[in-house]
Amino acid sequence: MSGHPINGLDDLVHQRVRLGILTIAHEARRVEFSYLRTNLEVTAGNLSQHLTVLENAGLVSIEKGYEGKRARTWVSLTKDGHTALRDEVAHLKRLISQVDRNDKRHPP
Amino acid sequence: MANQSVSDDEDPRRQLARSRNLARRVRRAQRATWFPLLVFAVLTFAAVLVTRTGHPTAVHCRPVPQAGPGARVCLAHNSATFVYWPIALVLAYVAIAAFYVRRSRARGVGTRVGPYVIAGIAIAVALTAVSIWADHHGPLVGHYDVLGWHLVGDDVYRLIGPACAIGLALLVLAVVERSLALFAITVGYLWIAVAPINFGWTVNGPSHWVFLPYLTIQGSVLLAAALGFAAAQRPIRHATA
Repeated sequence: MSGHPINGLDDLVHQRVRLGILTIAHEARRVEFSYLRTNLEVTAGNLSQHLTVLENAGLVSIEKGYEGKRARTWVSLTKDGHTALRDEVAHLKRLISQVDRNDKRHPP
Repeated sequence: MANQSVSDDEDPRRQLARSRNLARRVRRAQRATWFPLLVFAVLTFAAVLVTRTGHPTAVHCRPVPQAGPGARVCLAHNSATFVYWPIALVLAYVAIAAFYVRRSRARGVGTRVGPYVIAGIAIAVALTAVSIWADHHGPLVGHYDVLGWHLVGDDVYRLIGPACAIGLALLVLAVVERSLALFAITVGYLWIAVAPINFGWTVNGPSHWVFLPYLTIQGSVLLAAALGFAAAQRPIRHATA
């Protein structure tokens, strides 16, 4: 069972909001906190917690600054973050194809 | 897996679909295709005035015996357009980069405009250098085979002209923004610019407005595309503003 794709899923990345953060940061290269909050439909506190988890794991880097008087927090993916996202997507695809194969062999 | 139940949040299909949807939303927020198209439409229309007010001079005349006794072909050198286009193109790319960066800050997503701006400036500089070379080596007459294409002198001038520089860089933008629509429009624009297509509208020499149909058609194509993209991207701009 160790070869099953579900074993390759990383809980840290697999979580819905964190996978969303990584996906957006990957596509945007650099994303602002408020964009993440709006598009992932989470509270600021919840998003901060997830960002801290990803930052501690070395998957994102967080840059804080000001534009005029407005505080801005920008998030970007690290090299490890890119790798983790790529691996997660690959595992998800393998998992889906495995389920499809099983369904064909054993139709419901 | 058959015995494991998964919540909707953990369903791999839903997760992948959600990721793709988020990535699409980011791309939409990043796109501002209408702005470069509008800038180049304005530059093309402004080139009508620059070309008309410039004073072309005939240089590097060569006899063309096959066209008849005493027939000559000359290169019409217009200093005004020669100075106008390189400066206008570089300033346009600076303006486009500034616009995208400002928009990126306002929307909270990074921009991918860098490769487009670099490619645009590089193409503009390279084609200007080739134009200068061609200008100093007399009129290109006769036939040329370039990458399997059979070209006559006028075709070569159009290939190294500003419209081609704009179009080639727009192809890079189409790739950067992953926009099939922009790619198709740019291919059409390049076809019109290089072919060249004038839809039957011609101004015969020795009028000073010989260039008018081509610049007007090229500018109109860019303007129409800019308006089309602005209309297509407007609801998204409002939704994500």
